[in-house]
Amino acid sequence: MRLNDRVFGMLMLILAVVYGWEAAQFPEPFGGEESVGPETFPIILSFFLGASAIYMMLKPDPDEAWPVLPMLLELISVVVAIMIFAWAIEPLGFIPAAVAIVSYLAWRMGASIKMSLIIGVSSSVSIFLIFNNVLELALPLGLLEF
Amino acid sequence: METLSFLMQGFAVALTPESIMFAIIGAILGTLIGALPGLGPANGVAILIPLAFSLGLSPTSSLILLTSVYAGAMYGGRISSILLNIPGDEPAMMTCIDGYPMALKGKAAEALAISAIASFIGSFIATIGLVILAPILANFALKFGPSEYFALFALAFATLGGITGKNQFKTLMAAALGLMIASVGIDISSGVQRYTYNILELFEGVDFIIAIVGLFAISELLFFIEKHAGEGLKKVTVNKLKLTMGDIIAVLPTSFRGALLGFVSGVLPGAGASLGSFISYTLEKKVVGDKGTFGQGDARGIAAPEAGNNGAASGALVPMLTLGVPGSGTTAVLLAMLISLNVTPGPMLFTQNADLVWGVIAALFVGNLVLLLLNIPMIGIFVKLLSVPPKYLMPIVTLVASVGIYSVSHSALDLYFMVGFGVIGYILRKVDVPLVPVILGMLLGPEMEKSLRHALVLSDGDWGVLFNSGLSIGLWTVAIMGLLLPVIIGPIVRAKMAKSKTATE
Repeated sequence: MRLNDRVFGMLMLILAVVYGWEAAQFPEPFGGEESVGPETFPIILSFFLGASAIYMMLKPDPDEAWPVLPMLLELISVVVAIMIFAWAIEPLGFIPAAVAIVSYLAWRMGASIKMSLIIGVSSSVSIFLIFNNVLELALPLGLLEF
Repeated sequence: METLSFLMQGFAVALTPESIMFAIIGAILGTLIGALPGLGPANGVAILIPLAFSLGLSPTSSLILLTSVYAGAMYGGRISSILLNIPGDEPAMMTCIDGYPMALKGKAAEALAISAIASFIGSFIATIGLVILAPILANFALKFGPSEYFALFALAFATLGGITGKNQFKTLMAAALGLMIASVGIDISSGVQRYTYNILELFEGVDFIIAIVGLFAISELLFFIEKHAGEGLKKVTVNKLKLTMGDIIAVLPTSFRGALLGFVSGVLPGAGASLGSFISYTLEKKVVGDKGTFGQGDARGIAAPEAGNNGAASGALVPMLTLGVPGSGTTAVLLAMLISLNVTPGPMLFTQNADLVWGVIAALFVGNLVLLLLNIPMIGIFVKLLSVPPKYLMPIVTLVASVGIYSVSHSALDLYFMVGFGVIGYILRKVDVPLVPVILGMLLGPEMEKSLRHALVLSDGDWGVLFNSGLSIGLWTVAIMGLLLPVIIGPIVRAKMAKSKTATE
């Protein structure tokens, strides 16, 4: 199967066309048209991207296998978990958020639940202490603030 | 002799207690980054940039820290090659050939010590080469006008895939993507908004540090989880070191040859450290001939590629510092560091920031000496760390990377961007599109566009200006060769590299 490169090439071709078309729609800069404007370089780029995308569709390389569905869901869960961690730093505080994300990642990578929690707590607390006390970069305390 | 006095001033900077401290910290961190599974040198340096940034280190200190990390990572990469037959990074592949058999014979400690000495010689000679060549090249580059610079940027992208690159079109695609990301934001010279879709956060463009950390660190984490590689490598033990002066003297000529070859291939566009170590090894085999036991644990077979790849690593700094055009992933990340510190690399760097450049070059000498002194007694500790399974390590690395990004701006949005780039990086790696050109495109995009526009404004819109000097025609010729040569000789070189690897297994 050589589907990956064909599909990806197609997506890139669409991107190249949209990108180039948008560049052509840029408003005329203040002070009138010049020989080179803000659209010149993007239009050149869209040609290069388009050309390499077409080549990729015509001469695709062999596929690397995509993860099967359960693995895909797992990877998505990891991505979502890091997003939640990013959101939670301020309302919940750095330490709770970091304990959760490190333990979750370690557990998903195959560590036992007990070890995951140990790693999560010890790394989060030590990074918090290093940042706040040694490097003097304040991280939010959140829930632990009292 | 002007150079020498500059170098002395550089040592005055590099030998202050603060600089020495940063060089030592950098050397230790770098060796760890090189030795630990799952952390390449480019990745490791990228994670450290936001940290150095948010700590408010001066440009000189940050650069000393990160160049020491860079040098250290080259040392660290060989540890797993020798002990486990698994190259830490691509240039370390040739070290496996003789390093692993030597470890099997119970001479792992000797192999590690010889490779440390060869690495030191490689870096040391190449840094001397850097001292001699860089000012000459910087002087020459002062002649460059905007059209020459445009050609030079094109050359950088054309040769980035390297002689051993597989698919030139994918490199081109990656470069175009990077340049396109760089075009997001308000156009500096006309004030027109480009691809911002009225999102306030995009007005200033996409921060490349966030992109680098996302593309490297987060995509690496996803690959680790997918491959179930959390258990890591088997435990190894190292024997007690028994190295005589004779052993060291025996590998000296080999190391010198390797260092020179490595330096040359580091400086040349498109060659890089992998080719440096490969050529050094092959040549050494020819020079020694039948007298050697290459492939069965010959010490010279370790010294040659190690001197070669460390020589190439220092050599690669020449185009980065003098022209602002990096030749490898890690030097691209170092360039990102410079740009974010508001230091513009290029020929002017040597006149405007002389103390910074020479301080860094002097720090390379100091860092290498530190590395040699650290590596021989502390090898046992590094070996122990090698057996820390990634399932404990990668989550902590992810946390450190996120904290670094977060502490720069205190905004969760930057972290969302980081994760987004991680997903993009994962997809790009799945379809075999290289990530380094994407990053290089983001870094060089603004400058490349600026030189194109300057050139065209000066010529009143005549595109012929891009090809009207001998120098720019020369640069374009090399660029086109850089694109075409890999198609012709790439398969041959790659087949040879694979053959010499499998012949020993």
